[in-house]
Amino acid sequence: MEHTQSRPAGVARAPSGLMDGLQRWLPKLVVAPTFILIGIGIYGYMLWTGVLSFTNSSFLPSYDFVGLAQYAKLMESERWLVASRNLAIFGGLFIGICLLIGVVLAIFLDQRIRQEGAIRTIYLYPMALSMIVTGTVWRWILNPRLGLEKLMHDWGWTSFSFDWLVNSDFAIYTIVMAAVWQASGFVMALFLAGLRGVDSSIIRAARVDGASLPVIYWKIILPSLRPVFFSSVMVLAHIAIKSFDLVMAMTAGGPGYSTDLPAVFMYAHTFTRGQMGLGSASAMLMLGAILALLVPYLYSELREKRHD
Amino acid sequence: MSQLELRDIRKTYTGALDETLKGINIDIASGEFLTLVGPSGCGKSTLMNSIAGLESITGGSIVVNGRDISGMEPKDRDIAMVFQSYALYPTMSVRENIAFGLKIRGMPKEEIRQEVERVADLLQISPLLDKKPARLSGGQQQRVAMGRALARRPKIYLFDEPLSNLDAKLRVEMRTEIKKLHQRLRTTIVYVTHDQIEAMTLADRIAVLKDGELQQLGTPKEVYDTPENLFVASFMGSPSMSFIEVAIERSEAGLSVTVEGSDGRTLALPVPAYLESWAGKRVVLGIRPEHISQPDDQKTDHPMVTSGRFKVEVTEPTGPDVLAVIRLNDTDVQCRLDAEHPVNWGEEADLMFDMRKVVFFDPESEKRIRPQ
Amino acid sequence: MTDVIRTGFRPSRIAIYGVLLLACLVYLIPLIVMLITSFKTPMDIRTGNLLALPTDWTVVGWTKAWSEACTGVQCNGVSGYFWNSFKMTVPAVLISTLLGAFNGYVLSKWKFKGSDLMFGMLLFGCFVPFQVVLLPMAATLGKLGLANTTAGLVLVHVIYGVAFTTLFFRNYYVAIPDALVKAARLDGAGFFTIFFRILLPMSTPIFMVSLIWQFTQIWNDFLFGVVFASGDSQPITVALNNLVNTSTGVKEYNVDMAAAMIAALPTLVVYIVAGKYFIRGLTAGSVKG
Ligand SMILES: Nc1ncnc2c1ncn2[C@@H]1O[C@H](COP(=O)(O)OP(=O)(O)O)[C@@H](O)[C@H]1O
Ligand SMILES: [Mg+2]
Repeated sequence: MEHTQSRPAGVARAPSGLMDGLQRWLPKLVVAPTFILIGIGIYGYMLWTGVLSFTNSSFLPSYDFVGLAQYAKLMESERWLVASRNLAIFGGLFIGICLLIGVVLAIFLDQRIRQEGAIRTIYLYPMALSMIVTGTVWRWILNPRLGLEKLMHDWGWTSFSFDWLVNSDFAIYTIVMAAVWQASGFVMALFLAGLRGVDSSIIRAARVDGASLPVIYWKIILPSLRPVFFSSVMVLAHIAIKSFDLVMAMTAGGPGYSTDLPAVFMYAHTFTRGQMGLGSASAMLMLGAILALLVPYLYSELREKRHD
Repeated sequence: MSQLELRDIRKTYTGALDETLKGINIDIASGEFLTLVGPSGCGKSTLMNSIAGLESITGGSIVVNGRDISGMEPKDRDIAMVFQSYALYPTMSVRENIAFGLKIRGMPKEEIRQEVERVADLLQISPLLDKKPARLSGGQQQRVAMGRALARRPKIYLFDEPLSNLDAKLRVEMRTEIKKLHQRLRTTIVYVTHDQIEAMTLADRIAVLKDGELQQLGTPKEVYDTPENLFVASFMGSPSMSFIEVAIERSEAGLSVTVEGSDGRTLALPVPAYLESWAGKRVVLGIRPEHISQPDDQKTDHPMVTSGRFKVEVTEPTGPDVLAVIRLNDTDVQCRLDAEHPVNWGEEADLMFDMRKVVFFDPESEKRIRPQ
Repeated sequence: MTDVIRTGFRPSRIAIYGVLLLACLVYLIPLIVMLITSFKTPMDIRTGNLLALPTDWTVVGWTKAWSEACTGVQCNGVSGYFWNSFKMTVPAVLISTLLGAFNGYVLSKWKFKGSDLMFGMLLFGCFVPFQVVLLPMAATLGKLGLANTTAGLVLVHVIYGVAFTTLFFRNYYVAIPDALVKAARLDGAGFFTIFFRILLPMSTPIFMVSLIWQFTQIWNDFLFGVVFASGDSQPITVALNNLVNTSTGVKEYNVDMAAAMIAALPTLVVYIVAGKYFIRGLTAGSVKG
């Protein structure tokens, strides 16, 4: 629907006056504040950060341009490489495991389960919690002396030992655990909604053709959930790249900087270590990573829309 | 006296490459029922929205009672519209739906009450007044939508495919009812439909639209009997007119065309004298199913009526009669046969061609060849 | 489609129920541990294990977390920060939802040249990692005198929340037929009348979705809280993190868990009361992240 804004040439203006003129401008007036806020707060600031990433800003922004020096420094920084590698490990495992658990639980829950509503509620409640809360709890559960280890010892498995939280080689996996616990129920909900949307006549037809249930799921139903799969990956990747809270609450990046993620690196350098230029460069690379995921995704989404 | 004049209306949607309306000119008289027909996407809704002021036009002007209203806001145009989807306000009761426009215009409460009751009586929806639209059947919702338009007593009513969402039986009933209502109230109505039967039965005049251009404007009879071009001829009438490519031949008996059946048998059909100048050239013969039937003694004597024997390829009984398909000059041609004297497919039948009402088109311009 | 699939295989159904219930347990255990631990004495914690019930149930952990625990240098518990979070969340949720409703209305029913572009900008805004705006935002809040204030946090949450609320409302209103708005315009209703009289009464579900989504997002936020607030204006998530990481004296896990429960309760309550809308928000938001 388009409202009358342009007036055909040569037509005298109807004598309805000021109010109508105002009415015509109202829609634009109403969205103007948001437009300005978003324009500055997202796009303006994005540019600003981009500019800072080319300067040698330290504790305060400065505008001495140093070209790509900050990016070069980033590439040489051992800590940044660890953070990037951690993101790859964390992101890969987090997305993979969440998808696996989510799909399995969704399929199982789609079998006319009694108390389905209650079960769904239980699977999904972690998503309502702050990652700081999640991190606090898991940090306690994985406590090397009093947590899981003690529980196992009390239950008779005296040789059990679990110190991943403080072991710099394994600490990143404890973060994966907590993150999967928090988000896998959500993936389940997405897939369950997708399963409910599958046309049951297709499945009836497949049964008539003699296909077995696993075959039906594997060959017919899951392929038809491709869009759900993609949007789940998008959301999970987005959570992974931005995840900061969970690391801060569980390990604060430690031991050493073995659980640093880019978001933690960016925060530490920008706000506590006085290396704003470097921090900005790392933020821009995070944006780049999201764009690399987002652009193909939006492109395929839009293309599919056009084919409808 | 014309009440609504559309003068060279043009509309290009922002961002669109083509013009959606390409200069529409129609004068509508006071109290006239004009139907606007055309295939989906030809710009009917766009034209209605433009008249109502819901879309701005990019050229031309809309004049009501001599006053140019092209730039006015919809609310100042004194035009009411009934939508295909009814567009009833879902959170309001039927009464509130009908009263909404009156309330906004500041009509006193008591007058609103009276007006709502008048309209409800007129449309026999009084028992529904306190219900929400979701609780009504499609036909009832349709009535409420009309009631909302009637309550404001506007100068002009616009109906945009108001019956398209109803099932076939209800559609016919409502059609009759709309016709009665118009005969009673004598209001000016522009009525859009893509259903040519609806257009024929309701209209004082029909405007046929295609790709944003007016193809023909005339009474139902004019449009049916003398379509201006191939498009109008094929669009109006169901089953539609058959088109056969033929060459005009001259002999001592006069002008004729020859058609060849699927078995190679030929028949010469007489054609009117006004095609004299087309002798030796190819034309498109347009013939409606009712012009080919089983021989009838009263007609066979007429010089413009001929009979021949053809093989029937397909038959489709419709109840009162049987539609049969024969092949002439390698095109399917529909005929309307008597249901009392059935012919089976594959059999041969004697068929009578009544050439008095057939039309001819120029194959180049696709326009009808007019008698001089 | 469940009806089609379910017919006739009994033994595997037991396995299915087994897996589903085991998963329930895994999801619930952290909550159970959190609750049990919060009611234990420090002594109990050292002698018992994660899943052992407290020998003496005590609320000492809770009272200490609420009013005495140290969050950094101060030792006044988390109560002040809890209220900070409310003071920040309520206005931010209301403002962003209201703005979103109007924006969604315009972007679906009163499109103008450039409105699709604006929609695209908003859509993209939902994906941007906040790290790219933190520094300029901090500088701006400083210039405006809003650094370390609740008002500053409200502003930040409104700016970065309005993209989501707009999308919620825009997608909801797009599904409402344009003819409704056209009919109302012919009836003489203007921009605001159409919104308040026609669309608003139909919008309860999407308002719930937006309010709940924004409430959980803003209440649970940590990044903006830790960057833009300090000391007395910090939200509960930041205070909880400080409390847990304060390394003076003996670690009191019962206090940690009680504080975590306090931080979690408002969103948990909302989830339990209006989970339906929460899930709808999640799945609606999922298309955009
Ligand atoms: N708001 C719009 N913006 C751009 N193009 C439009 C819009 N509305 C309709 N059109 C285009 O204008 C043409 C005519 O549409 P419409 O008037 O709805 O046709 P009809 O009612 O005859 O089916 C169609 O090709 C349609 O795609
Ligand atoms: Mg239409």
